[in-house]
Amino acid sequence: MTQARSRPLPLEGIRVLDLGQFIAIPFCTLWLAWLGAEVIVIESRRRMTSRTAPPFADGHEKDPNASGYFNQLYSSKKSCTIDMTTAEGRDLVRRLAGVCDVMVDNFSTGVLEKLGLGYEAVAAVNPSIVMLSNGAFGRAGPMRNARGLHSAVNLFSGVADVTGYVDGHPRILGGVVPDPLSGTYSGFAILAAIHHRQKTGQGQFIDVAMHETMLTLIPEAVIDLTMNEVEPQRIGNRDRVNAPHGIYRCRGDDTWLAISVSNEAAWACLCRSIGHPEWLTDSRFASPEARRKNVAALDLAIEAWSHGQDVHEAADMLQRAGVPAGPVLRVDELLDNEQLNARDGVVTIDHPVAGPRRQMGLPWRMDSLGVEYRRAPLLGEHTHEILTGLLGISEADYNRLEAGGVLS
Amino acid sequence: MSGDRQATTQGPLAGVTVVELGDGTAGPYAAKLFGDLGADVIKVEEPSGDSTRRRGPFPDGRPDPEASGLFMYLNTNKFGVMLELDGQAGVQAMHRLLERADIFITNLPAKRLASLPFNAAALRSRYPRLVVTTISPFGMEGPWSERLGDELITYAMSGMAYSTPGMPDAADDLVREPPLHPGCFVSETISGLVAAEASMAALIGRGCSGQGCHIELSQQAAVAAMQIRDVTSASYIGSRYNRLLNPITIGRMPNFYLPCKDGYVTVAAPMEIHWKRLTQAMGNPTWAQSETYATEAARTANWVTLRLKLIEWTMTLTGAELHALAEKMQLPIFPFYSIRKMAESEHSRERRTLVEVEIGGRSAHMPAAPFKMRATPWTLRRPAPRLGEHTAMILKDGLAA
Repeated sequence: MTQARSRPLPLEGIRVLDLGQFIAIPFCTLWLAWLGAEVIVIESRRRMTSRTAPPFADGHEKDPNASGYFNQLYSSKKSCTIDMTTAEGRDLVRRLAGVCDVMVDNFSTGVLEKLGLGYEAVAAVNPSIVMLSNGAFGRAGPMRNARGLHSAVNLFSGVADVTGYVDGHPRILGGVVPDPLSGTYSGFAILAAIHHRQKTGQGQFIDVAMHETMLTLIPEAVIDLTMNEVEPQRIGNRDRVNAPHGIYRCRGDDTWLAISVSNEAAWACLCRSIGHPEWLTDSRFASPEARRKNVAALDLAIEAWSHGQDVHEAADMLQRAGVPAGPVLRVDELLDNEQLNARDGVVTIDHPVAGPRRQMGLPWRMDSLGVEYRRAPLLGEHTHEILTGLLGISEADYNRLEAGGVLS
Repeated sequence: MSGDRQATTQGPLAGVTVVELGDGTAGPYAAKLFGDLGADVIKVEEPSGDSTRRRGPFPDGRPDPEASGLFMYLNTNKFGVMLELDGQAGVQAMHRLLERADIFITNLPAKRLASLPFNAAALRSRYPRLVVTTISPFGMEGPWSERLGDELITYAMSGMAYSTPGMPDAADDLVREPPLHPGCFVSETISGLVAAEASMAALIGRGCSGQGCHIELSQQAAVAAMQIRDVTSASYIGSRYNRLLNPITIGRMPNFYLPCKDGYVTVAAPMEIHWKRLTQAMGNPTWAQSETYATEAARTANWVTLRLKLIEWTMTLTGAELHALAEKMQLPIFPFYSIRKMAESEHSRERRTLVEVEIGGRSAHMPAAPFKMRATPWTLRRPAPRLGEHTAMILKDGLAA
């Protein structure tokens, strides 16, 4: 679906060479593509980004054009198949870098340099290019070569130190969040660098370390530790300052309600609406300090109430009473969530092999600029167009490259 | 010669002016990202001040609105202006700031915003070139638009709570281990970052269209957008997410989070090649050759007992020993680092992952830039403003000086 295509796309005219894999960089360029950038993905049958990853559309297992993982992360992008294990292939990629504004990768540290496609080599051809390289531990520092996917990033970043049940062991934040989070930081950094380039003509190299992007989630704990020597604590769903602040069991299997009270007015509304006005004068709960001190008893008391409640009815009732509350939604419930749908947050993109599929669109709306959701490319769909059009390669040369396996 | 040999001391966003009317984390963080890259950011506070000034952490835990660690972090590289927005003079002063601004960012509660003459539609018509960025819990349209939401509620409604603890971890007990929120501002930070990227895109779009834009961001949607991998599974397989051992996300075992002698490690050996290396690393125990664990399918099917077998082994070694072994055997095993250990690591020091600042006369460290731009490096140009610190200077002289 397309939101008012008549509006200009904010990133129209910006061309991105995408050597990404996994989620971080593909997620970064997904939003750039939706905002109008021309994103050229380099892949090959030897290196099929995420086309081999499940889930596949029913009946199309192992079909490189039917991977949901690929189709949802590569919407609105172009696929150009070039085998970078060949010298001619690497030369083509270098030439493409020469006509792109941005180049991105998240290979292991050093891979691009070995291919002759490191920043120095690319900047020699295109000094004003913005090149962003995203790595688990970044491209500098003694751990730059360490192996690590999102779980290692999570464990190194310090975030796990404040994730866990009361006095329990460190746990891992869900949603493979280091990937999309570092991808979003990458998008912001690229746009800032483009702005700078538009004003000065200067390109540059940007080094993104996924663990440093995760660190931005925990400034409070870092500062308390380094300023006051206060060791991080795992406190379940509680807050350092406000109570109640928790996720409480409701009626039914594995069904939960979040409640967050940060002022006395909301506290009074909570007590009255759930039928416990006596808590307002209960010395254990009467002040924020008392509630903080007796938070274990408070959480038990609230759960004794919530346990019998329907989660949606309880959330509606508390909201009407003026208490911030909401149901814990499973990921699969997001697609049908009425609020996300009401603001075009869920988009359906049709695909010739996988059919129409839903995914989250941009999480913001724009009144004067457009966004374009197009299907993911088939493997190699744009190779001919890009090489003969953008690079101006003759048909004869194209045929020779193709016959030589360079474009497979 | 490459274009970036000369690093400038000005950030890449020098010359951009941002006015922030924010509170808490989301709005102030979006504006901080601009300030950190060289934009002139004017933070407008009402006389009560940003609520983060009252949250801390404070030196020795003693409340002081000018020494809140989180406030200092979220508001570095900004100018501070205090305005009484309920009065005519304050409104006029605000308009003088907006006249010169490229971007206006706010995350004030809808009710407060509605009581002020700065709603998005009014600002867009008065300042056609202005990018107006509003951050609200659920967005400005739809059945939840008027509802109350904050860090915890939007996190719960974004899918993230339900999937935490998450891969390669999982809940052990569905009743005693509820969906988990970490002790930090995840939802607000993500929303601030997404708002910054959206505002940046609109600023670039303005270069062509000459038009400003209203960026209308929902915090719930911003965090939900991060769940792309699991949403894809729901969209393609339609299966229900399970917190215990999610067959969608925890496909092949072992790929999990396990205790070791002095902490915790992730052990990822989902494929045959990894399993071979892992059994070698364990010294080829006989149980590992048995039919129960011989194939990828068997290892996943018998994960419950396999996990206990692996723990017997991991508990004999420290995280560092396991990591060293893994590097040697080309196995993805990685140990848990406490914040202290991460902060004190050679890697963090060399990368300047943290920066030293002064908070209420005390030395502290805070996260520096989450990315390193070689030509236009991140700089800490000024500490967070005291309440109203630059009011006179900015309203009298503007920022040109």
